[in-house]
Amino acid sequence: MTEESRLLEKLPLKQHLENIRRVMRLFVNLDRSYLPWNVVSSLISAALSYGGMILSAYVLNRISGDFDFAGLFGRIILGVVLLSLGWSLSSILNRRIDVKGQMLAEKYSALQHEKIMNMDFSLIASPRLKELRDRIRMDNNWGAGIFTVIWCGKGVLESVIRIIGAVVIGIPMLSYFRRADLGWLGPAALLLCLLVGVCLKLYQYFQKESHYIMFHLPTREEKKFLWNYVWEFAYGSGYYRYGNGKDVRIYNSYDLMKKWTLDKLQTKDFFDYAVRRPAVGEAGSYGVQTALYVLTQIGAYGIVIMAALKGNMPVGSLILYADCLANLMIQTVYTVTSGLELFLAARKQAGILDLLELSDEMYKGSLPVEKRSDNEYHIAFRNVSFKYPGSQEYALKDFTLDLRVGEKLAIVGRNGSGKTTMIKLLCRLYDPDEGEILVNGVDIRKFRHDEYVRLFSVVFQDYRLFSLMLAENIAADKDYDGEKVRRCLADAGFEERLAALGEKGIESYLYKDYTDEGIEISGGEAQKLAIARALYKEAPFVLLDEPTAALDPLAEAEIYSNFDKIAGGKTAVYISHRLSSCRFCDKIAVFDKGRLVQMGSHEELLAEREGIYASLWNAQARYYEAEA
Amino acid sequence: MKQTESQFQKHYSIFQNIGYYFRFYRQSVPVFLWLCLVEIVFGALAPLFGIYLPKLAVDLAVKGVTWQRMLLTLGAFGMLCLCVRVTSAVSETGKYHLYNTRRNELMAKIFLKTLRVPYRHVEEGETKELYWKAMNIVNNGDWSAIHRMTYGTVSIIRNVLSFLLYSTVLSLLNPLVAALLVLLALAQYVINIRKIKYMERFRDEDAELRKKKSYLFYSAMENQAAAKDIRIFGMQRWLSKEKEILLDWTRRLTQKKNRAEFLYWQLGSLLNLGRDIFAYGYLLREVLGGSVGPGEFVLYFGAITGFSGFVGSIMDSLAGLRSGSLETNHYRSYMELQEEDRKTGQRHVSKLARPISIEFRDVSFSYDKSEKKIFDHFSLKIRAGEKLALVGVNGAGKTTFVKLLTGMYEPDEGSILIGGVDRKEFPREELFRLFSAVFQEPFLLPVTVAENLTFEKEYDRDRAWKALEDAGLAERFRREGVTMDTFFDKDMDERGIELSGGEQQKFLLARALYKDGPILVLDEPTAALDPIAESEVYDSYARYSEHKTAVFISHRLASTRFSDRIVLLGEGGILEEGNHQELMEKKGAYAEMFEVQSRYYAKDQLKKEAF
Repeated sequence: MTEESRLLEKLPLKQHLENIRRVMRLFVNLDRSYLPWNVVSSLISAALSYGGMILSAYVLNRISGDFDFAGLFGRIILGVVLLSLGWSLSSILNRRIDVKGQMLAEKYSALQHEKIMNMDFSLIASPRLKELRDRIRMDNNWGAGIFTVIWCGKGVLESVIRIIGAVVIGIPMLSYFRRADLGWLGPAALLLCLLVGVCLKLYQYFQKESHYIMFHLPTREEKKFLWNYVWEFAYGSGYYRYGNGKDVRIYNSYDLMKKWTLDKLQTKDFFDYAVRRPAVGEAGSYGVQTALYVLTQIGAYGIVIMAALKGNMPVGSLILYADCLANLMIQTVYTVTSGLELFLAARKQAGILDLLELSDEMYKGSLPVEKRSDNEYHIAFRNVSFKYPGSQEYALKDFTLDLRVGEKLAIVGRNGSGKTTMIKLLCRLYDPDEGEILVNGVDIRKFRHDEYVRLFSVVFQDYRLFSLMLAENIAADKDYDGEKVRRCLADAGFEERLAALGEKGIESYLYKDYTDEGIEISGGEAQKLAIARALYKEAPFVLLDEPTAALDPLAEAEIYSNFDKIAGGKTAVYISHRLSSCRFCDKIAVFDKGRLVQMGSHEELLAEREGIYASLWNAQARYYEAEA
Repeated sequence: MKQTESQFQKHYSIFQNIGYYFRFYRQSVPVFLWLCLVEIVFGALAPLFGIYLPKLAVDLAVKGVTWQRMLLTLGAFGMLCLCVRVTSAVSETGKYHLYNTRRNELMAKIFLKTLRVPYRHVEEGETKELYWKAMNIVNNGDWSAIHRMTYGTVSIIRNVLSFLLYSTVLSLLNPLVAALLVLLALAQYVINIRKIKYMERFRDEDAELRKKKSYLFYSAMENQAAAKDIRIFGMQRWLSKEKEILLDWTRRLTQKKNRAEFLYWQLGSLLNLGRDIFAYGYLLREVLGGSVGPGEFVLYFGAITGFSGFVGSIMDSLAGLRSGSLETNHYRSYMELQEEDRKTGQRHVSKLARPISIEFRDVSFSYDKSEKKIFDHFSLKIRAGEKLALVGVNGAGKTTFVKLLTGMYEPDEGSILIGGVDRKEFPREELFRLFSAVFQEPFLLPVTVAENLTFEKEYDRDRAWKALEDAGLAERFRREGVTMDTFFDKDMDERGIELSGGEQQKFLLARALYKDGPILVLDEPTAALDPIAESEVYDSYARYSEHKTAVFISHRLASTRFSDRIVLLGEGGILEEGNHQELMEKKGAYAEMFEVQSRYYAKDQLKKEAF
């Protein structure tokens, strides 16, 4: 599929119907009663609107001759009141359907977010998902997403029902045609069909023009002046990442920012691509639709008046039949146009449906994880090699390592030597390309995934807390054990701050994204919460990835001194650029370019004078040692 | 939600805001205004054809004209109707994309404004909130304020004209009837105003719910940075439960809103029922009296029942105008923030002798007047060409010092002297030129290497590569075939590069080196670097800072060893200062901090000594 044209190609009808079927199936899954209620409501509103037409035709017929005021007026009042009651009923119904529709859309959108939340980690960053999300973003740029599907679907349904109504009511009209001279009807009908045909062709052309921008994934060149780009600059992460930059001011980068935003929007390329074409397309299609409406109305009136001229038709019936005929024609046209729009709207949902149907690629076994009270676990990496998706270079290469419970292992190495990668593989965020990882002799892929993940508590370098309740953040769940939460907070050194929170305590919300009453916490405090979260989990393995990078020497020392408490009798893996911290650990593993190059205690490693460890150590320690 | 109003909040009337938008269009796309005018004229006429067609048909049929005559009349009517309606339709939709792209333009302008206001606005909660509110006017597509304001205005004018036309038609029948219907319209107006006011009470709840959903869905569930934590700690269950709570809330709110809407709708419907009964009754009597024939009956009946449609549309647009105008005020408040004066000043930095000295003289500063002071009568002199190290625990004010020094903030009291001259006397633009700074937050744009490095249109290629070389990045760039025109973004350029955290830090350093300003400020430039890369930076520091005045901020106390002087910041000011030797001998706070950090390095030494 080339980038330029992949969404512009014409789809066969079968594919369109398949798209609609997929969306409908999802609707039924989300709310079984939504479609049937829509049919009922469309039937009622069609009946009521034809009812109104029939009432006024009746009145018009009666007043053309002699009539009894009181009798006629009484019947009119009855009719009007009944219709009004009908409309009230229909309104109640429609509002219920409205709520259902809103909730359907809400659930539909939640499904997408949950899907992303639940999918394999390796998928999240994959090119496949990126492509899918780009497409979804593009498809959702125009129109109202799932609501467009609902509206167009409803449009088709109502049009069909109105066509049926028009035919049923219009049948008696045929008797007038029998009486009339029909020589003119053939050419007139032909002319009308021709006009409608030309209009529909024009409509198709204009639609294509207007869909160009909506359905065309921009090329790299086009991307540079597109909405998404400005969006990324100004709105996405822009305000924090760019606007916030003191750099913008110091380095006088205003002109550069302007060049990539405002200036791009004022180029002719942008105008042609994003304005002229779709504007002509949309104005054209709506103009043609309006022309069709006028043509069918005038045509219908012409035909019925022709029949009436000869056939002595009462005036009320004339209007009624003309309206029915006009309805028959225009609703047929609408069925086609709404149908085409429905095709389009359903096609735009295809990306989301693909996303929802995306299946995890990682193999997940069914073996239960042995629950050992003695926490006697043994981890082994056997000749593991791994490349990040889309990358040429090995992040880990032919990597072998043994780790026993109760051990404290430190990992050191240069940037990009594979330290964090090893943790990601161990937690099954990724699977190795070659080799295997064993826990107590069993390939970790064979374990039940959820049970396996329970073995690990990790504080990542870029850990995140959510702006939800403090206690929930620690328990990582809605339900939490308050006592345990407080204990973990105390162990992580958050006790003092907790006391300062007052009455709300652990029920306080973090930050202000979720509620204005949230509390602000510093980076150091956040780090303590991340550690408390890891404690709460009580997993046999504790993995800490550079937990002190952002801390000052005193706070850093505090974390070190808590290290034993955090690790307890568990297996702990500790990654740090601060080599001094490694001395807490029984063993130090030195990584280089994805391989394990050295392993041993601090003293042993330092003795290997040519080793990487010695060079890392000396690079850092020389500034301190000279003093001591 | 309880919110105190911002001191920057402007209050323009609806009319002023409408005028504001239309002036904006007149400037950027004048054709938009013409389309609006065409739409108003033709759009106002269009509904008339709807009520005249049945009358024409009835008249033709009742009179019993020849078919030729009938075709001619109907044909002429049809052509006219076609012209008016199609023109109205084309002008109405044709302007859509013209408006839509202007939305992007406004968004870009808000963003660019952010770069022009004093830096403190970027960090202050009040203006930050105003920024998001301002952005709101361009969000939400056709529900955006700009849409409601412009389309709403056009729609109101058009509908009022149609309303007047219908009234004129009805006055032909009986001015009293027209007057009665206007009264009826007024009643509708009252009901609708009530409804709008009533519905406004859901607005805050709506906004709160939207904010929560947006956070939960995008910043939590789909947050890539949090994806690892979510999976390792099994947070999916937690977030899904939170989602259920929000969806339940949404359902209840939607039902509440719908119920209220139904009640108002029902009231209006009763009015319409009365109107229909009156219309039938009145027209029937007129027919009996002979003053109205079947043709007029159809016409007037159509006119009477069509009347309320206009009122409804006007009211809907009016509700949009009211809320749109409120939102527009946020936008205008933001756009009218005082911009930084960048050009004026009595002195010029070019006249200063290099290297340049710096002095904080009796500086007091706090971010918020009510908050505690970060600096309280703080004084510090940095000699020309001096290499200063700034250390202290988190929150001691190191980063604030940098912000004050580089001119992001002005001191509340006291002054900052650059080369012996009060900073305020230089044009700000020139002042900024003095600093080569590396700040803590990475700041890389998805544009080319050259643009990110130099921010210049015409840059010096050799010096750019030299800067990359000095920062230790050139090797990787050369190896991977990266040129100055490569993008920092895979989306824009398939050969685009992505930098790791450590490499980003090196790139920021390269940028500072390229700029070659006389004052070098490095704020934690090695936090993400491994020990060897870190020590490379230390080793090169003397070269980086040659002939410059330099300030180095770091948690790694090792970095203080190659500075002329160390300043230890604490609560409100300087705790200790001196060179490393002096401070260690003092055995004060610095010595303790150094001890804490070097303990584990030094222990090795101690152990050896013990043996």
